Amino acid sequence: MTDYQQTYWEHIEEGSLWLQYCSHCQRYVFYPRRHCPYCPRENLEWRQTSGQGRVHSYTLVRVSALPEFKDLVPYIYALVDLVEGIRIPTNIIECAVDQVRVDMPVTLATIKREGRALPVFKPFQKQN
Amino acid sequence: MFRPEHSVILGIGELKPSLDVKGQISLDLLARAAVLAIQDAGLDKGDIDGLLVCPPSEDSYFLWPSQVAEYLQLSPTFMNMVELGGASAAGCIARASLMVAAGLCRYCLCLSGGIWDPQVFNTREGKTAVMSQAEIDYELPYGPMGFNSGYAMIARRHMHEYGTTAEQLAKIAVDQRTNALANPDALFNRQPLSIQQVLDSPIVVDPLHLLEIVRPCSGAAAVIVGNKGPHRAPAHTPVILRGFGEAYTHNSIAYAPSLTTSAIKAAGERAFRMAQLTVKDIDLVSLYDCYTITVLISLEDLGFCHKGEGGRFVERTDLTYKGNLPCNTHGGQLSFGQPSFAGGMSHVIEAVRQLRGEAGQRQVSNNRRALVNGNGGTMSTQCCLILERG
Ligand SMILES: [Zn+2]
Repeated sequence: MTDYQQTYWEHIEEGSLWLQYCSHCQRYVFYPRRHCPYCPRENLEWRQTSGQGRVHSYTLVRVSALPEFKDLVPYIYALVDLVEGIRIPTNIIECAVDQVRVDMPVTLATIKREGRALPVFKPFQKQN
Repeated sequence: MFRPEHSVILGIGELKPSLDVKGQISLDLLARAAVLAIQDAGLDKGDIDGLLVCPPSEDSYFLWPSQVAEYLQLSPTFMNMVELGGASAAGCIARASLMVAAGLCRYCLCLSGGIWDPQVFNTREGKTAVMSQAEIDYELPYGPMGFNSGYAMIARRHMHEYGTTAEQLAKIAVDQRTNALANPDALFNRQPLSIQQVLDSPIVVDPLHLLEIVRPCSGAAAVIVGNKGPHRAPAHTPVILRGFGEAYTHNSIAYAPSLTTSAIKAAGERAFRMAQLTVKDIDLVSLYDCYTITVLISLEDLGFCHKGEGGRFVERTDLTYKGNLPCNTHGGQLSFGQPSFAGGMSHVIEAVRQLRGEAGQRQVSNNRRALVNGNGGTMSTQCCLILERG
Protein backbone atom coordinates (compact mmCIF):
# COMPACT_ATOMS: atom_id res chain seq x y z
CA MET A 1 0.00 0.00 0.00
CA THR A 2 1.29 3.48 -0.81
CA ASP A 3 1.68 6.13 1.90
CA TYR A 4 -1.23 8.16 0.52
CA GLN A 5 -3.55 5.14 0.42
CA GLN A 6 -2.56 4.37 4.01
CA THR A 7 -3.32 7.94 5.17
CA TYR A 8 -6.74 7.85 3.49
CA TRP A 9 -7.76 4.54 5.08
CA GLU A 10 -6.34 5.42 8.52
CA HIS A 11 -8.61 8.47 8.71
CA ILE A 12 -11.56 6.34 7.62
CA GLU A 13 -10.81 3.89 10.45
CA GLU A 14 -11.05 6.90 12.80
CA GLY A 15 -14.46 7.77 11.35
CA SER A 16 -13.56 10.83 9.28
CA LEU A 17 -13.05 11.48 5.58
CA TRP A 18 -9.84 13.33 4.74
CA LEU A 19 -8.93 14.19 1.16
CA GLN A 20 -5.87 15.57 -0.50
CA TYR A 21 -5.86 19.28 -1.35
CA CYS A 22 -3.65 21.18 -3.77
CA SER A 23 -2.97 24.66 -2.38
CA HIS A 24 -1.70 25.80 -5.77
CA CYS A 25 -4.89 24.81 -7.62
CA GLN A 26 -7.08 25.37 -4.55
CA ARG A 27 -8.85 22.14 -5.34
CA TYR A 28 -9.49 18.87 -3.58
CA VAL A 29 -8.29 15.69 -5.24
CA PHE A 30 -9.91 12.27 -5.26
CA TYR A 31 -8.87 9.40 -5.40
CA PRO A 32 -5.66 9.66 -3.33
CA ARG A 33 -2.48 9.86 -5.43
CA ARG A 34 1.04 11.22 -5.58
CA HIS A 35 0.44 14.14 -7.95
CA CYS A 36 -2.21 16.81 -8.19
CA PRO A 37 -3.79 15.83 -11.53
CA TYR A 38 -4.32 19.47 -12.49
CA CYS A 39 -0.99 21.29 -12.10
CA PRO A 40 0.49 18.45 -11.57
CA ARG A 41 2.64 19.17 -8.51
CA GLU A 42 3.48 16.75 -5.70
CA ASN A 43 3.16 17.58 -1.99
CA LEU A 44 -0.61 17.50 -1.72
CA GLU A 45 -1.82 18.33 1.79
CA TRP A 46 -4.50 16.44 3.72
CA ARG A 47 -7.67 18.18 4.87
CA GLN A 48 -10.67 16.88 6.72
CA THR A 49 -13.91 17.17 4.75
CA SER A 50 -17.26 18.26 6.11
CA GLY A 51 -18.81 14.90 5.24
CA GLN A 52 -21.75 16.77 3.73
CA GLY A 53 -22.96 16.23 0.20
CA ARG A 54 -25.76 15.34 -2.18
CA VAL A 55 -26.59 12.27 -4.20
CA HIS A 56 -25.47 12.99 -7.77
CA SER A 57 -26.91 9.74 -9.12
CA TYR A 58 -27.58 6.22 -7.95
CA THR A 59 -28.58 2.74 -8.93
CA LEU A 60 -30.20 -0.06 -6.97
CA VAL A 61 -28.45 -3.42 -7.01
CA ARG A 62 -31.04 -6.17 -6.60
CA VAL A 63 -28.89 -9.11 -7.67
CA SER A 64 -25.15 -9.04 -7.04
CA ALA A 65 -22.64 -11.33 -8.70
CA LEU A 66 -20.19 -10.58 -5.89
CA PRO A 67 -20.48 -13.24 -3.14
CA GLU A 68 -19.87 -10.81 -0.26
CA PHE A 69 -22.86 -8.72 -1.40
CA LYS A 70 -25.34 -11.60 -1.76
CA ASP A 71 -26.87 -10.93 1.67
CA LEU A 72 -26.84 -7.14 1.31
CA VAL A 73 -29.22 -6.85 -1.66
CA PRO A 74 -31.04 -4.71 -2.43
CA TYR A 75 -28.54 -1.95 -1.81
CA ILE A 76 -27.94 1.56 -3.12
CA TYR A 77 -24.78 2.22 -5.12
CA ALA A 78 -24.34 5.95 -5.63
CA LEU A 79 -22.14 8.87 -6.56
CA VAL A 80 -22.13 11.59 -3.92
CA ASP A 81 -21.04 15.18 -4.59
CA LEU A 82 -19.27 16.51 -1.50
CA VAL A 83 -19.55 20.22 -0.74
CA GLU A 84 -15.76 20.27 -1.23
CA GLY A 85 -16.34 19.70 -4.96
CA ILE A 86 -15.46 16.02 -5.08
CA ARG A 87 -17.59 13.19 -6.46
CA ILE A 88 -17.16 9.89 -4.65
CA PRO A 89 -18.53 6.39 -5.33
CA THR A 90 -20.26 4.99 -2.25
CA ASN A 91 -23.31 3.27 -0.75
CA ILE A 92 -26.27 5.07 0.78
CA ILE A 93 -27.24 3.39 4.05
CA GLU A 94 -30.15 3.80 6.46
CA CYS A 95 -32.34 4.64 3.47
CA ALA A 96 -35.07 2.47 1.96
CA VAL A 97 -34.37 1.73 -1.70
CA ASP A 98 -37.57 3.51 -2.76
CA GLN A 99 -36.64 6.61 -0.75
CA VAL A 100 -33.34 7.53 -2.39
CA ARG A 101 -33.46 10.53 -4.75
CA VAL A 102 -31.06 12.45 -6.95
CA ASP A 103 -29.94 15.65 -5.13
CA MET A 104 -30.93 14.22 -1.74
CA PRO A 105 -28.70 15.69 1.04
CA VAL A 106 -26.53 13.07 2.70
CA THR A 107 -23.94 12.95 5.45
CA LEU A 108 -20.88 10.78 6.10
CA ALA A 109 -21.07 7.54 8.04
CA THR A 110 -18.62 4.68 8.27
CA ILE A 111 -19.37 0.97 8.26
CA LYS A 112 -17.26 -2.13 8.73
CA ARG A 113 -17.13 -4.43 5.71
CA GLU A 114 -14.70 -7.28 5.15
CA GLY A 115 -12.95 -6.32 8.39
CA ARG A 116 -12.22 -2.70 7.53
CA ALA A 117 -13.94 0.67 7.71
CA LEU A 118 -15.58 2.14 4.61
CA PRO A 119 -16.91 5.68 4.09
CA VAL A 120 -20.60 5.60 3.16
CA PHE A 121 -23.41 8.15 3.38
CA LYS A 122 -26.81 8.31 5.02
CA PRO A 123 -29.73 10.71 4.55
CA PHE A 124 -29.05 14.05 6.22
CA GLN A 125 -31.52 14.99 8.93
CA LYS A 126 -31.39 18.31 10.75
CA GLN A 127 -31.24 16.71 14.20
CA ASN A 128 -27.94 15.00 13.41
CA MET B 1 -0.81 16.84 -45.72
CA PHE B 2 -2.90 14.03 -44.32
CA ARG B 3 -6.36 13.79 -45.83
CA PRO B 4 -8.53 11.00 -44.49
CA GLU B 5 -10.42 10.63 -47.77
CA HIS B 6 -7.32 9.17 -49.35
CA SER B 7 -8.21 6.02 -47.41
CA VAL B 8 -10.99 3.70 -48.47
CA ILE B 9 -12.63 0.65 -46.97
CA LEU B 10 -12.05 -2.08 -49.54
CA GLY B 11 -13.24 -5.19 -47.79
CA ILE B 12 -15.50 -6.35 -44.98
CA GLY B 13 -16.05 -9.74 -43.37
CA GLU B 14 -18.25 -10.69 -40.46
CA LEU B 15 -19.28 -13.92 -38.74
CA LYS B 16 -22.80 -14.47 -37.53
CA PRO B 17 -22.76 -13.82 -33.75
CA SER B 18 -23.12 -16.97 -31.70
CA LEU B 19 -23.79 -18.06 -28.14
CA ASP B 20 -22.31 -21.51 -28.70
CA VAL B 21 -18.82 -21.80 -30.17
CA LYS B 22 -17.59 -24.92 -28.41
CA GLY B 23 -14.30 -26.28 -29.65
CA GLN B 24 -13.04 -22.99 -31.07
CA ILE B 25 -10.64 -20.30 -29.90
CA SER B 26 -10.66 -16.58 -30.66
CA LEU B 27 -7.98 -16.95 -33.33
CA ASP B 28 -10.20 -19.42 -35.24
CA LEU B 29 -12.98 -16.83 -35.42
CA LEU B 30 -10.66 -13.94 -36.30
CA ALA B 31 -9.07 -15.94 -39.10
CA ARG B 32 -12.44 -16.78 -40.64
CA ALA B 33 -13.50 -13.12 -40.58
CA ALA B 34 -10.14 -12.09 -42.07
CA VAL B 35 -10.52 -14.54 -44.95
CA LEU B 36 -14.00 -13.19 -45.71
CA ALA B 37 -12.72 -9.58 -45.77
CA ILE B 38 -9.73 -10.47 -47.98
CA GLN B 39 -12.04 -12.21 -50.46
CA ASP B 40 -14.50 -9.32 -50.31
CA ALA B 41 -11.70 -6.88 -51.19
CA GLY B 42 -10.55 -9.05 -54.10
CA LEU B 43 -7.10 -9.39 -52.53
CA ASP B 44 -4.78 -12.26 -51.65
CA LYS B 45 -3.61 -12.86 -48.11
CA GLY B 46 -0.09 -11.94 -49.21
CA ASP B 47 -1.29 -8.43 -50.05
CA ILE B 48 -2.02 -7.67 -46.38
CA ASP B 49 0.91 -5.67 -45.03
CA GLY B 50 -0.68 -3.85 -42.09
CA LEU B 51 -2.46 -5.30 -39.07
CA LEU B 52 -4.52 -3.70 -36.28
CA VAL B 53 -6.25 -5.91 -33.73
CA CYS B 54 -8.71 -5.24 -30.92
CA PRO B 55 -8.08 -7.09 -27.66
CA PRO B 56 -9.74 -10.49 -27.17
CA SER B 57 -11.73 -11.31 -24.02
CA GLU B 58 -10.69 -14.78 -22.97
CA ASP B 59 -7.24 -15.20 -24.47
CA SER B 60 -3.95 -13.74 -23.29
CA TYR B 61 -3.43 -10.16 -24.46
CA PHE B 62 0.29 -10.73 -24.47
CA LEU B 63 1.77 -9.82 -27.87
CA TRP B 64 -1.71 -10.25 -29.31
CA PRO B 65 -0.88 -8.66 -32.70
CA SER B 66 1.94 -11.13 -33.24
CA GLN B 67 -0.23 -14.02 -32.04
CA VAL B 68 -2.76 -13.06 -34.73
CA ALA B 69 -0.09 -12.48 -37.38
CA GLU B 70 1.48 -15.86 -36.64
CA TYR B 71 -1.82 -17.74 -36.77
CA LEU B 72 -2.63 -16.19 -40.17
CA GLN B 73 1.02 -16.24 -41.31
CA LEU B 74 0.98 -12.52 -42.10
CA SER B 75 4.16 -10.46 -42.33
CA PRO B 76 2.97 -6.95 -41.54
CA THR B 77 5.33 -4.04 -42.03
CA PHE B 78 3.44 -2.26 -39.24
CA MET B 79 1.04 -3.60 -36.61
CA ASN B 80 -0.51 -2.79 -33.26
CA MET B 81 -3.28 -3.56 -30.79
CA VAL B 82 -5.88 -0.83 -30.34
CA GLU B 83 -7.31 -0.87 -26.82
CA LEU B 84 -10.03 1.76 -26.59
CA GLY B 85 -12.74 -0.52 -25.19
CA GLY B 86 -15.84 -0.26 -27.35
CA ALA B 87 -14.14 2.44 -29.42
CA SER B 88 -11.37 0.02 -30.44
CA ALA B 89 -12.95 -1.00 -33.75
CA ALA B 90 -13.60 2.56 -34.94
CA GLY B 91 -10.16 3.45 -33.57
CA CYS B 92 -8.63 0.77 -35.81
CA ILE B 93 -10.17 2.37 -38.91
CA ALA B 94 -8.83 5.82 -37.97
CA ARG B 95 -5.35 4.43 -37.31
CA ALA B 96 -5.38 2.29 -40.45
CA SER B 97 -6.06 5.39 -42.52
CA LEU B 98 -3.03 7.08 -40.95
CA MET B 99 -0.85 4.04 -41.65
CA VAL B 100 -1.99 3.87 -45.27
CA ALA B 101 -1.63 7.64 -45.79
CA ALA B 102 1.88 7.56 -44.34
CA GLY B 103 2.84 4.82 -46.77
CA LEU B 104 3.57 2.38 -43.94
CA CYS B 105 1.38 -0.21 -45.61
CA ARG B 106 -0.92 -0.62 -48.59
CA TYR B 107 -3.63 -2.86 -47.13
CA CYS B 108 -4.34 -2.76 -43.42
CA LEU B 109 -6.41 -5.58 -41.92
CA CYS B 110 -8.46 -4.46 -38.89
CA LEU B 111 -9.72 -7.31 -36.72
CA SER B 112 -12.11 -7.47 -33.80
CA GLY B 113 -13.87 -10.22 -31.89
CA GLY B 114 -13.31 -13.59 -30.31
CA ILE B 115 -14.88 -16.03 -27.89
CA TRP B 116 -17.06 -14.53 -25.19
CA ASP B 117 -16.29 -15.83 -21.74
CA PRO B 118 -19.40 -15.37 -19.53
CA GLN B 119 -17.20 -15.45 -16.43
CA VAL B 120 -15.60 -12.14 -17.38
CA PHE B 121 -18.10 -9.96 -15.54
CA ASN B 122 -19.64 -12.55 -13.23
CA THR B 123 -16.85 -13.25 -10.78
CA ARG B 124 -14.68 -11.07 -8.61
CA GLU B 125 -11.63 -12.16 -10.62
CA GLY B 126 -13.37 -11.36 -13.88
CA LYS B 127 -14.50 -7.97 -12.61
CA THR B 128 -11.13 -6.91 -11.28
CA ALA B 129 -9.49 -7.99 -14.55
CA VAL B 130 -11.33 -5.18 -16.34
CA MET B 131 -11.04 -2.58 -13.54
CA SER B 132 -8.38 0.03 -12.90
CA GLN B 133 -6.59 0.02 -9.54
CA ALA B 134 -8.56 3.12 -8.51
CA GLU B 135 -11.82 1.30 -9.29
CA ILE B 136 -10.70 -1.75 -7.33
CA ASP B 137 -9.69 0.39 -4.33
CA TYR B 138 -12.46 2.99 -4.21
CA GLU B 139 -15.45 1.47 -6.04
CA LEU B 140 -15.41 -2.32 -5.76
CA PRO B 141 -15.87 -2.24 -1.93
CA TYR B 142 -19.35 -0.77 -2.57
CA GLY B 143 -20.54 -3.58 -4.83
CA PRO B 144 -20.93 -1.95 -8.27
CA MET B 145 -22.19 -4.23 -11.04
CA GLY B 146 -19.50 -3.46 -13.57
CA PHE B 147 -20.41 -1.26 -16.50
CA ASN B 148 -24.11 -1.76 -15.74
CA SER B 149 -23.86 0.43 -12.62
CA GLY B 150 -22.15 3.28 -14.42
CA TYR B 151 -24.64 3.39 -17.26
CA ALA B 152 -27.54 3.03 -14.82
CA MET B 153 -26.34 6.14 -12.99
CA ILE B 154 -25.96 7.97 -16.31
CA ALA B 155 -29.55 7.05 -17.21
CA ARG B 156 -30.85 8.02 -13.75
CA ARG B 157 -29.11 11.40 -13.90
CA HIS B 158 -30.40 12.06 -17.44
CA MET B 159 -33.93 11.28 -16.27
CA HIS B 160 -33.46 13.68 -13.35
CA GLU B 161 -32.01 16.57 -15.36
CA TYR B 162 -34.18 16.33 -18.48
CA GLY B 163 -37.24 14.27 -17.63
CA THR B 164 -36.22 11.44 -19.93
CA THR B 165 -38.55 8.48 -19.46
CA ALA B 166 -38.14 4.72 -19.41
CA GLU B 167 -40.59 4.53 -22.34
CA GLN B 168 -38.40 6.83 -24.44
CA LEU B 169 -35.30 4.74 -23.76
CA ALA B 170 -37.22 1.54 -24.52
CA LYS B 171 -38.21 2.94 -27.95
CA ILE B 172 -34.54 2.70 -29.01
CA ALA B 173 -34.44 -1.05 -28.25
CA VAL B 174 -37.78 -1.50 -30.05
CA ASP B 175 -36.63 0.23 -33.27
CA GLN B 176 -33.37 -1.69 -33.27
CA ARG B 177 -35.28 -4.96 -32.92
CA THR B 178 -37.34 -3.97 -35.97
CA ASN B 179 -34.02 -3.58 -37.81
CA ALA B 180 -32.80 -6.96 -36.58
CA LEU B 181 -35.91 -8.67 -37.94
CA ALA B 182 -34.56 -7.77 -41.39
CA ASN B 183 -31.09 -9.11 -40.61
CA PRO B 184 -30.68 -12.90 -40.96
CA ASP B 185 -27.39 -12.71 -39.01
CA ALA B 186 -28.79 -10.99 -35.92
CA LEU B 187 -28.87 -12.92 -32.65
CA PHE B 188 -32.41 -11.74 -31.86
CA ASN B 189 -34.32 -11.60 -35.14
CA ARG B 190 -37.40 -13.73 -34.63
CA GLN B 191 -39.77 -11.74 -32.43
CA PRO B 192 -40.62 -8.06 -32.68
CA LEU B 193 -40.42 -6.09 -29.46
CA SER B 194 -42.85 -3.60 -27.92
CA ILE B 195 -42.09 -0.78 -25.51
CA GLN B 196 -44.21 -2.61 -22.93
CA GLN B 197 -42.15 -5.79 -23.35
CA VAL B 198 -38.96 -3.83 -22.68
CA LEU B 199 -40.49 -2.27 -19.57
CA ASP B 200 -41.80 -5.67 -18.42
CA SER B 201 -38.33 -7.23 -18.66
CA PRO B 202 -36.51 -7.47 -15.31
CA ILE B 203 -34.81 -4.34 -13.99
CA VAL B 204 -31.20 -5.49 -13.83
CA VAL B 205 -29.71 -2.29 -12.45
CA ASP B 206 -32.30 0.36 -11.80
CA PRO B 207 -33.42 2.07 -14.05
CA LEU B 208 -32.09 -0.22 -16.80
CA HIS B 209 -34.15 -3.21 -17.95
CA LEU B 210 -32.70 -6.45 -19.25
CA LEU B 211 -33.76 -5.65 -22.83
CA GLU B 212 -31.89 -2.31 -22.75
CA ILE B 213 -28.59 -4.03 -22.03
CA VAL B 214 -26.22 -5.45 -24.60
CA ARG B 215 -26.03 -9.20 -25.10
CA PRO B 216 -22.40 -10.38 -25.16
CA CYS B 217 -21.68 -13.27 -27.50
CA SER B 218 -18.91 -14.73 -29.63
CA GLY B 219 -18.08 -13.59 -33.13
CA ALA B 220 -15.56 -11.74 -35.24
CA ALA B 221 -15.38 -9.01 -37.84
CA ALA B 222 -12.72 -7.74 -40.23
CA VAL B 223 -12.28 -4.59 -42.31
CA ILE B 224 -9.56 -3.84 -44.85
CA VAL B 225 -8.46 -0.22 -45.29
CA GLY B 226 -6.38 0.70 -48.32
CA ASN B 227 -5.33 3.62 -50.44
CA LYS B 228 -7.77 5.32 -52.73
CA GLY B 229 -6.68 4.64 -56.28
CA PRO B 230 -6.75 1.81 -58.78
CA HIS B 231 -7.21 -1.63 -57.29
CA ARG B 232 -6.97 -4.99 -58.91
CA ALA B 233 -10.56 -6.03 -58.57
CA PRO B 234 -12.88 -3.30 -57.27
CA ALA B 235 -15.65 -5.77 -56.50
CA HIS B 236 -17.65 -3.24 -54.51
CA THR B 237 -18.33 0.46 -54.33
CA PRO B 238 -15.42 1.81 -52.27
CA VAL B 239 -16.32 3.60 -49.07
CA ILE B 240 -14.29 6.71 -48.31
CA LEU B 241 -13.27 7.82 -44.82
CA ARG B 242 -14.11 11.53 -44.85
CA GLY B 243 -13.13 12.25 -41.30
CA PHE B 244 -12.60 10.97 -37.82
CA GLY B 245 -12.34 12.43 -34.36
CA GLU B 246 -11.54 11.07 -30.94
CA ALA B 247 -11.95 12.33 -27.39
CA TYR B 248 -11.34 11.08 -23.90
CA THR B 249 -12.55 12.40 -20.55
CA HIS B 250 -12.18 9.75 -17.83
CA ASN B 251 -11.91 6.04 -17.13
CA SER B 252 -14.44 5.28 -14.40
CA ILE B 253 -17.76 7.13 -14.48
CA ALA B 254 -17.01 8.37 -10.95
CA TYR B 255 -14.45 10.78 -12.46
CA ALA B 256 -16.46 11.92 -15.48
CA PRO B 257 -16.78 15.71 -15.86
CA SER B 258 -20.49 15.14 -16.56
CA LEU B 259 -22.77 12.11 -16.50
CA THR B 260 -25.06 13.46 -19.19
CA THR B 261 -22.74 15.18 -21.69
CA SER B 262 -20.02 12.89 -23.00
CA ALA B 263 -16.75 12.99 -24.90
CA ILE B 264 -18.80 12.06 -27.99
CA LYS B 265 -19.47 15.79 -28.35
CA ALA B 266 -15.80 16.65 -28.86
CA ALA B 267 -15.11 13.52 -30.94
CA GLY B 268 -18.03 14.33 -33.24
CA GLU B 269 -16.98 17.97 -33.63
CA ARG B 270 -13.47 16.88 -34.56
CA ALA B 271 -14.79 14.35 -37.09
CA PHE B 272 -17.12 16.89 -38.71
CA ARG B 273 -14.32 19.47 -38.86
CA MET B 274 -11.96 17.02 -40.56
CA ALA B 275 -14.69 15.97 -42.99
CA GLN B 276 -15.76 19.59 -43.58
CA LEU B 277 -19.34 18.42 -43.11
CA THR B 278 -22.14 18.99 -40.62
CA VAL B 279 -24.74 16.80 -38.95
CA LYS B 280 -27.20 17.75 -41.73
CA ASP B 281 -25.01 15.87 -44.24
CA ILE B 282 -25.47 12.53 -42.45
CA ASP B 283 -28.02 10.04 -43.83
CA LEU B 284 -27.65 7.16 -41.38
CA VAL B 285 -25.87 6.40 -38.14
CA SER B 286 -24.21 3.43 -36.45
CA LEU B 287 -24.00 4.32 -32.77
CA TYR B 288 -22.34 2.11 -30.19
CA ASP B 289 -25.22 0.74 -28.17
CA CYS B 290 -24.08 -1.07 -25.05
CA TYR B 291 -27.25 0.36 -23.48
CA THR B 292 -30.19 2.38 -24.77
CA ILE B 293 -29.00 5.47 -22.87
CA THR B 294 -25.73 5.38 -24.84
CA VAL B 295 -27.60 5.85 -28.11
CA LEU B 296 -29.75 8.64 -26.69
CA ILE B 297 -26.78 10.62 -25.36
CA SER B 298 -24.86 9.98 -28.61
CA LEU B 299 -27.69 11.52 -30.65
CA GLU B 300 -27.66 14.59 -28.39
CA ASP B 301 -23.89 15.01 -28.23
CA LEU B 302 -23.52 14.60 -32.00
CA GLY B 303 -26.08 17.34 -32.57
CA PHE B 304 -29.00 15.40 -34.03
CA CYS B 305 -31.06 17.12 -31.34
CA HIS B 306 -30.40 19.54 -28.49
CA LYS B 307 -29.02 18.38 -25.15
CA GLY B 308 -31.85 17.08 -23.04
CA GLU B 309 -34.23 16.56 -25.95
CA GLY B 310 -32.98 13.06 -26.76
CA GLY B 311 -36.00 11.42 -25.16
CA ARG B 312 -38.54 13.40 -27.15
CA PHE B 313 -36.35 13.07 -30.27
CA VAL B 314 -36.31 9.26 -30.24
CA GLU B 315 -40.02 9.25 -29.45
CA ARG B 316 -40.89 11.13 -32.64
CA THR B 317 -38.07 9.79 -34.87
CA ASP B 318 -38.30 6.47 -36.69
CA LEU B 319 -34.84 4.97 -36.10
CA THR B 320 -35.52 1.91 -38.27
CA TYR B 321 -34.16 1.34 -41.77
CA LYS B 322 -37.51 2.65 -43.05
CA GLY B 323 -37.28 5.84 -41.03
CA ASN B 324 -35.95 9.38 -41.28
CA LEU B 325 -32.79 8.69 -39.24
CA PRO B 326 -31.83 5.03 -39.70
CA CYS B 327 -29.82 3.99 -36.64
CA ASN B 328 -28.07 0.67 -36.09
CA THR B 329 -29.83 -0.93 -39.04
CA HIS B 330 -28.20 -4.31 -38.34
CA GLY B 331 -30.05 -4.40 -35.03
CA GLY B 332 -27.23 -2.86 -33.02
CA GLN B 333 -25.51 -4.74 -30.26
CA LEU B 334 -28.84 -4.87 -28.42
CA SER B 335 -30.37 -7.19 -31.05
CA PHE B 336 -27.49 -8.19 -33.35
CA GLY B 337 -25.21 -9.09 -30.41
CA GLN B 338 -21.90 -7.83 -29.06
CA PRO B 339 -19.15 -10.18 -30.18
CA SER B 340 -16.40 -10.46 -27.56
CA PHE B 341 -15.21 -7.38 -25.64
CA ALA B 342 -16.02 -4.76 -28.20
CA GLY B 343 -18.60 -5.30 -30.85
CA GLY B 344 -17.96 -1.93 -32.43
CA MET B 345 -16.74 -3.40 -35.73
CA SER B 346 -20.29 -4.52 -36.54
CA HIS B 347 -21.28 -0.82 -36.55
CA VAL B 348 -18.55 -0.03 -39.09
CA ILE B 349 -19.46 -3.01 -41.28
CA GLU B 350 -23.17 -2.21 -41.32
CA ALA B 351 -22.43 1.39 -42.36
CA VAL B 352 -20.25 0.09 -45.20
CA ARG B 353 -23.00 -2.31 -46.35
CA GLN B 354 -25.54 0.50 -46.38
CA LEU B 355 -23.25 2.88 -48.28
CA ARG B 356 -22.45 0.16 -50.82
CA GLY B 357 -26.14 -0.58 -51.26
CA GLU B 358 -25.66 -4.17 -50.12
CA ALA B 359 -27.90 -4.19 -47.05
CA GLY B 360 -30.60 -6.30 -48.70
CA GLN B 361 -34.03 -6.17 -47.15
CA ARG B 362 -32.99 -3.42 -44.73
CA GLN B 363 -31.30 -1.18 -47.34
CA VAL B 364 -31.94 2.50 -46.67
CA SER B 365 -32.76 4.76 -49.60
CA ASN B 366 -30.62 7.77 -48.63
CA ASN B 367 -27.19 6.20 -48.35
CA ARG B 368 -24.55 8.75 -49.24
CA ARG B 369 -23.01 9.36 -45.82
CA ALA B 370 -22.90 7.51 -42.54
CA LEU B 371 -21.63 8.43 -39.10
CA VAL B 372 -20.17 5.64 -36.96
CA ASN B 373 -19.43 6.12 -33.28
CA GLY B 374 -17.42 3.80 -31.08
CA ASN B 375 -17.84 4.26 -27.34
CA GLY B 376 -15.40 2.83 -24.81
CA GLY B 377 -15.62 2.48 -21.04
CA THR B 378 -18.46 4.35 -19.36
CA MET B 379 -18.90 6.91 -22.16
CA SER B 380 -15.30 7.96 -21.70
CA THR B 381 -13.29 6.98 -24.77
CA GLN B 382 -14.81 7.98 -28.10
CA CYS B 383 -14.00 7.54 -31.77
CA CYS B 384 -16.30 9.00 -34.41
CA LEU B 385 -15.98 8.17 -38.13
CA ILE B 386 -17.67 9.82 -41.09
CA LEU B 387 -17.95 7.51 -44.10
CA GLU B 388 -19.05 8.35 -47.63
CA ARG B 389 -20.06 6.31 -50.67
CA GLY B 390 -17.22 6.53 -53.19
ZN1 LIG C 1 -2.57 21.35 -8.39
